[in-house]
Amino acid sequence: MYIDKFFNPQSVAIIGATEDPQNITSTIIQNLFQMGFKGSVVPVNPHHDTVFGLKCYPSLSDIKEQIDLSVIAISSSHVIEILDQHIESGIKNCIIISGGFAEIGDKGEAIEENIKRISRENGIRIIGPNCLGVLDNYSDFSTFFLPWSKVKRPSKGYLSILSQSGSYSISMLDMLSLEGIGVSKFVSYGNRADVGESELIEYLTDDESTKVIGIYMESVDDGRRFITASSRCSRDKHMVVLKVGREDSGVDAARSHTGAIAGKYEVYKAAFKKSGIVEVDNLEEFIDACKVLSMQKPARGNRILVLTNGGGFGVAVSDLCCAKDLDVASTPSQIKESLSNHFPEFFILNNPIDLTGSSGDEDFGTVLQTAFVDNDYFDAAIVIPLMPPQTMTERVVDIISQSADESGKPVVVCTISGEYTKKTKEQFELKGIPVFPSPARAVKAMSILVDRGKAHGI
Amino acid sequence: MVYDASRKREIEIIVKKISDSGRKIALPDESLDIVKLSGIDVPSQVLVKSPGEAVKKSAEIGFPLVMKIASAEAIHKSEAGGVVLGIQGVQEVEEQYSKITSDFKGEIPDAKISGVLLQKQIPDATHLIVGGLHDEQFGPVVMFGMGGVLVELFKDVSFRIAPVTELESLEMIREIKAYPALSGYRGSKALDIEQIAKSIIIISDLITNISTIKEVELNPLLAYEKNVMAVDAKVILR
Repeated sequence: MYIDKFFNPQSVAIIGATEDPQNITSTIIQNLFQMGFKGSVVPVNPHHDTVFGLKCYPSLSDIKEQIDLSVIAISSSHVIEILDQHIESGIKNCIIISGGFAEIGDKGEAIEENIKRISRENGIRIIGPNCLGVLDNYSDFSTFFLPWSKVKRPSKGYLSILSQSGSYSISMLDMLSLEGIGVSKFVSYGNRADVGESELIEYLTDDESTKVIGIYMESVDDGRRFITASSRCSRDKHMVVLKVGREDSGVDAARSHTGAIAGKYEVYKAAFKKSGIVEVDNLEEFIDACKVLSMQKPARGNRILVLTNGGGFGVAVSDLCCAKDLDVASTPSQIKESLSNHFPEFFILNNPIDLTGSSGDEDFGTVLQTAFVDNDYFDAAIVIPLMPPQTMTERVVDIISQSADESGKPVVVCTISGEYTKKTKEQFELKGIPVFPSPARAVKAMSILVDRGKAHGI
Repeated sequence: MVYDASRKREIEIIVKKISDSGRKIALPDESLDIVKLSGIDVPSQVLVKSPGEAVKKSAEIGFPLVMKIASAEAIHKSEAGGVVLGIQGVQEVEEQYSKITSDFKGEIPDAKISGVLLQKQIPDATHLIVGGLHDEQFGPVVMFGMGGVLVELFKDVSFRIAPVTELESLEMIREIKAYPALSGYRGSKALDIEQIAKSIIIISDLITNISTIKEVELNPLLAYEKNVMAVDAKVILR
């Protein structure tokens, strides 16, 4: 499988390799060292004998061993001659990091057309040009040219990201690390001369380490193939898309009202719906959606338990739930009765349950055990533990996450981040409970779990 | 597929006739014939080419009737004074024939006029729009929403990639903001949702199966408590 070689190469040739810290090849090689990449790294550059202690070859044809993948990071004007060497050497996978192609106008466009032709005629699969390439957290392989000391490499996990934009890719990596979201694969494919999202979705559908796919999209490569691939993929996995470039004029030469209203974006939206893809509006929602789908499973229904020690937040969350068709159903009387044995009269036991500022860690556990673990009335829970009261400690993390585990149902947490609270956020997320910093974001995340539950027919 | 192979063939014959005459835009009677063959009811109608013929055929259609300019240049006919409603007798038919054609010539001097469409006037009802188009990237697409001349202003519409299932067509209907007004709002009776959904599916199938059609649109599709009827349609070829 040719696509697999992009993620799991046994040998990688770095074209134009040098130790010069100003040159991106030096960062790529050092990143690979740092990650503990197990395959062989083969520098290619006629001006050096060795690069970082590795034997350096004058050209691809001088290398004896089989090269699985090449990484090209040289001036666009030399790319075609290097690609021609690929034909002789039988190298079938190539990532072109360099810019200076279709994105700069006619001259670059002509080179890119040549790249496409060589790719097509010789079966050489290409990611890029004008991109970061790939990161695979399982094979410890990456072509990203930003040093890991400045962009934090996210932990190993089940989220894979496909992005047309390199700058968004880098920002997303940092955000994913900050939010404690584990990553499987990351592909920045830039100008998309050959491999695009549709083929990558087909590949990731069968990738065991990918459970959620996030896509940053400017345009689609092949509309019908994308719908077919995504419809199949989203049956078992979750897909999230952020579509930018929405203010496109209507379909060309349209004469009917339908044509005038059907801007390209409306059609994209319809395509995402058809494909079972969760569409989000901005980067923040994108990360939130990827996070909740990576950490929690879909809800089997829309009956939501809202539990807090801050009444105001309970009301805010309930209002937002209502607007998203989430049912903050009244606490059943048997649960209320049973809870009233444990609590003073001023605790409000009707959903949203407000334990007030007088409650402590254990009280959260008592409610969750009675109303959510032992009783199956509620489908999911939004818990808002405000940390400032004396009685609240970091132990609440264990209490809530343990109940969540035992219930087998999805739980999201909303906390407002102060210094102290931030520590609990990290602890929650280590235990796989996603934390959101506002009622609106917590509710939106829950609504995604409910929608996905419906889509998967849970 | 709602319509059978022989009806598909009849539609293709009309489409071929249009393209053979060097046009991309179907005349109103051709568009409505295509829609009717697809399985959507349209009022009885006839295209006439002279005042005399108009008078003769108007008796067959019956009164009141509507007269509409038939010209490939008349995309939005009512804006160009090309539509007259509530015509009650033969004398009016004769007068209006000349008026409509000369008014339209006044608006668009170079327009080629194929004649005037006489159409049985049916009771007014809720105006809906159902459209289909071929998108370069994603292929056939279908749209549903509130119709009439304000459709582009309010854009209360929903889209799906075609072909749509019955479930999807119902979702499209429920998705628009005005849905409560269709399903019985404040004492008004619910409209025929089943027939509306069927119309969406028909347009979806039409745009999916007749590859030479680039855009098709029913506007308005009049929706009653029982049944729906397309009083105007546009078909644009690739």
